[in-house]
Amino acid sequence: MPEYGLVCTGLAVQYPEFKLNLDFSIIQGELVSIIGPSGCGKSTTLQLITGLLPAEQGTIHLHGRDITDTPVWEREIGMVFQDYALFPHLNVEENIAYGLRLRKTPRGQRKTGVAELLKLVGLEGYQKRKTIDLSGGERQRIALARALAIKPKLLLLDEPLSALDAQLRKHLREEIRNIHASTGITTVYVTHDQEEALTISDRILVMNNGHMEQLDTPENIYMQPATLFAARFMGDGTLLSHTVIPQTIVSTDKGPEAVVFRSSGENRQIFFRPERVVVHDNQELAFPEFLPHLRFTNCRVRSCEYQGGRYLIGCEWNGNRILAYNRFRPARELITLGVRVSDLVEYQDGVVYRRH
Amino acid sequence: MRNNPSSKAYRTILDTSRFYRSLGVPALVILAFLFILPLSIILSKAFVDSDGGFTFNRLIGNLTSAYTLRILAFTLFQASVSTVASVLIGLPGAYLLATYRFPGKRIIRAICTIPFVLPSILVVLGFVIFYGNNGLINQLLMNLFGLEEPPLRILYSFTAIILAHAFYNFPIALGLISSFWEQLPAHCNQAAATMGAKRWTVFRTITLPRLMPAILSAATLIFLFCFSSFAIMLVLGGGPQFTTLEVEIYRRARMTMDQGGAAALSLLSIVVALVLIFIYSWTQRSLARQEEIQETVQGRLPRSPQSLRAKILVVLYTLFSVVFVLGPLAGIILRSFQAPGSRSGNLEFTVKWYEQLFGIQSQAGSILGTAGTAVLLSVVIATITAIISLIIGAMTAATLRLSKGRANLTMELMAMLPMAVSSVIIGLGYYLISSFFNESKTTGSILIVLAHVVIASPFVLRTVLPEYRKIPFTYTQASLTLGATVSQTFFKVELPLLRGALATGAAFAFAISMGEINATLVLANAQVVTMPVVMYRLIGSYNFPGACALGTLLIVCCALVFSLTESLKRRPHA
Repeated sequence: MPEYGLVCTGLAVQYPEFKLNLDFSIIQGELVSIIGPSGCGKSTTLQLITGLLPAEQGTIHLHGRDITDTPVWEREIGMVFQDYALFPHLNVEENIAYGLRLRKTPRGQRKTGVAELLKLVGLEGYQKRKTIDLSGGERQRIALARALAIKPKLLLLDEPLSALDAQLRKHLREEIRNIHASTGITTVYVTHDQEEALTISDRILVMNNGHMEQLDTPENIYMQPATLFAARFMGDGTLLSHTVIPQTIVSTDKGPEAVVFRSSGENRQIFFRPERVVVHDNQELAFPEFLPHLRFTNCRVRSCEYQGGRYLIGCEWNGNRILAYNRFRPARELITLGVRVSDLVEYQDGVVYRRH
Repeated sequence: MRNNPSSKAYRTILDTSRFYRSLGVPALVILAFLFILPLSIILSKAFVDSDGGFTFNRLIGNLTSAYTLRILAFTLFQASVSTVASVLIGLPGAYLLATYRFPGKRIIRAICTIPFVLPSILVVLGFVIFYGNNGLINQLLMNLFGLEEPPLRILYSFTAIILAHAFYNFPIALGLISSFWEQLPAHCNQAAATMGAKRWTVFRTITLPRLMPAILSAATLIFLFCFSSFAIMLVLGGGPQFTTLEVEIYRRARMTMDQGGAAALSLLSIVVALVLIFIYSWTQRSLARQEEIQETVQGRLPRSPQSLRAKILVVLYTLFSVVFVLGPLAGIILRSFQAPGSRSGNLEFTVKWYEQLFGIQSQAGSILGTAGTAVLLSVVIATITAIISLIIGAMTAATLRLSKGRANLTMELMAMLPMAVSSVIIGLGYYLISSFFNESKTTGSILIVLAHVVIASPFVLRTVLPEYRKIPFTYTQASLTLGATVSQTFFKVELPLLRGALATGAAFAFAISMGEINATLVLANAQVVTMPVVMYRLIGSYNFPGACALGTLLIVCCALVFSLTESLKRRPHA
C-alpha cells in the first residue's frame, strides 16, 4: 500500500465556458507532470491545489490531511511560478528567506538555510545579488530555492522552464530531476512540452478540456495511450480504420492473426507510432519478416523531413496518410511499410479498446 | 492567454479576500462623503428660493439669461482656442521626442510634468513677470534695440489668457502624445513606405490617424483644465469682458453674495465638465485598446538627429520649451532678489523682500507682514492633506486594482468625479458649509484641508493605481504560497513595491495643496490666509517683488518635497 502524498477527489470548478473535474492521487515522493494544450485547465489545477482558487466541489488531501478549506498560507505547498515572481524589492537572500521570516525562523538558521539552498541549486555566494541582475536560468533556480525553503510537503512547478532557451531547458530539467531525487519532495510539474514531460516524470497526467485523459508512466503514456487525444498529443502517429487490417495482414505460418482480429472492428480505429514502422524501399531485397504484421505496399512518399539522425517520412497509401521514421532517405518513390500487430493500439469512440 | 479560464482564475483568492475590499470601501466612503456633502449643499441652494421653498425658477432664470449664456460662450471659446494652441505647440515636440534621441530630452520630459504640479498662481505671476510691460522680455527687447517704450503690450488681454493657458497646458499635450507616439510600431510606416507612400503621406495616412486617440485624449484634458481655469482668468482677465463661469461663481459667492446664482452656475459647470470627462474616459479606453494591440510589437527606436534641419529643430524646440516654461519661473526667482536702487533707479540685488516677508523689516499694515504665518499655515495644511490623501489614495487603489469590467469603470469614474467638479465649486460647497460654524482659524483650516483632500486624492489614486496594476499577480500569489497572509503580503510585498509611486503621490498632494488657490480663495475666511492667497493679494496690489519672494518660497518648498521623494525611490521593478 503506497503512501499517498496528494489526493484530489472530485475536484471541480465551473466557468461559463469551462468546466474542470479531476480525480487523481500522487504517491509520496513522486514527480508527476501535468500536460495538456493551453486552456485545458493545467494552471487552474495548480491554483486549486495551492488554494489560490477555492474549489467549488471535492476535496484535497495532502499527506493524509484534508486541506480543502485551509487558506493558502497554511498549506505548506511550495510553488515556482512561470515568471518566477521573485520580489524585485528584495535581494536573493531576502527572497529565499521570505517564507522563513514569516515562520519566525531565527536569523542564524535562516542564513544557513539560505546558504544550503543556494548550494543545492548551484548558486553559492549569490546572497546579496539583486534579482533584476540575474539571468533567466538563475532566476529560475532562485525561485526553486525560495519554494523549497519553507520545506513544503508538495512542490508545484508551473511551466518553470518555458521562458528559457532550449539548451538551458535541457540542462535545468536534469537539475530539477536531481534536486527532486535528493529532496524527495512530492512534486507536480506543469508543462506543455511532451519531451520535457516524458524525460522528467515518474508519471504523467494528460489533461484535456478540464478532465484527466490518463495518468500513467511515461512509457505507457507514449506506447499505450488510454485515449486518442493522449495518443495524438504525446507525439506523431498514424490513425487508420480498423478495416485496413484484413487488407494488409500478412499470414505467417506462426501467426494467429485470424484469431486476433476475428471480431469485427468496423467502428474501431488503429493507431501506431512512426518509430514502429519498418520502411522497405528496395524490392530486390527481402522484406524483413517478423511476427504477425500489417504490410502496406505501394506507399507513395509525399514528404521527407530530416530531423537529424532520422527522417520523418509521410506516405500516402490508399488515400490514408502514414508516418514512419527511417535512418535513410527512401531511395524510391514507392515503398512498402510494415507494422507489427503487437505495436497497434485500438480505439473505439476515442477510448482505448482492450481485447480480452 | 488573456481570455483563457486559468488567467481569470488567477485572481480569485484576491477577489474573495475581504482584506482588499475592507481597505477601499471606507476610503471611498470618506471621499464620497467629503465630496457629496458640499455638492449637495450647492445643489440644494440652486433649487431653493428666498422663502426656503423648492423652485426651478432660479435655475431656469440663471441659465437662460443672456449674461450667463455670454459667459458660457466665452468660457467655451477661450477653452477651445487655448486647447488648439496647446496641441499645436505640443505636437511638433511630441514628434521630436518620439523620433530623436538628444541631450535635452530629459529636460523636456521633466517639463511635461510641470503643469500637474505648478500652482496656477505661479503661472500668473510668472506670466506677468515675463511678458508684462516691465517684464523680462520687454526689458530685453528695449535694451537690445534701444527702445523707449515696451514693444510687447499683451497683459490683461485675450491674447494674454490664451498665451498663459498654452504655456500652462502644452506640456500635457507634449507628454501624452509623445509617450503614445514612441510606442507606435514602425512596421506600419515601413509597410506604407514599401507600397510607395512618401514621408508626408505616411504621416497623413498612417501616423496621424493612429495618433488621433492620444491627441483627442490630451485635447479633452486640456479643454477641461482651461474650461475650469480660475486664477489665470481672475488676474489676467481683468474685467467682466473676459469672465468665465468659474470666475463668475466666485464673484457671485463672495462679492455680490448671490449664493443661489453661484449654485446654479456651478450646476451648469458640472454638467459641461461631466460631458468632457465622459469624452476623456472614452478616449482613454480607446487608447488602452490600441496599446493592448501594440503590446507585443517593438516600438520606434529613437535615434540621434542626423540632418542639419533635424538638429536645428531639436535645439530650437528644447530652447523654446525651456524659455517658455522655465523662463517665467526663473523670472520669479530673479525678481524676488531685485529692487530699484535708491540713487540710479536701476535694479540691484537685494533681500529686502524676504526680510519684509519674515517681519525682519516690518512695514505697518502691509500684506507682506502676514506672509510668515501664511507660509507656516500652508505647510501645515499641505502636510496634513498629503498624509490623508495618501492613505485614501493607497487604500482605494488596493481595491480598484482588483476590480474589472463594469464595476471597474464605475469605481474609476467615482474617483474621477472630483475632476468634474472644479475646485472652485468644491470651495463654494465648503464655503456654504462654513456658514454653519463660527468663523475661527481652526474650523477654517480644517475645511480647507477637507477641500484639499477632495482635490488631491484623485491625483494620488491616479499616480498609485497604474503602478499597483503593474505588480504581477504572481508576486502576490508567490507570497501567499510562501506562508504570508493577505495582509502580510500587502504590507511586505505590495507596499514596498509601491514606495516610489506612494512617495510621488504624496509629493503631488503636498504640492497641490501648497499652491491651491481656487478653492481656498472661495472658501477662506478672513482669518485663514494661505501662501497663494497672500500672493494673490500682493499681485492685486501690484506688489510683484513681494509676490515673487513668496512664489520663490513656494517653488523651493515643492522642489524640496519632490527631490526628497526622488531620493526615497529605489530602482523600479523590471
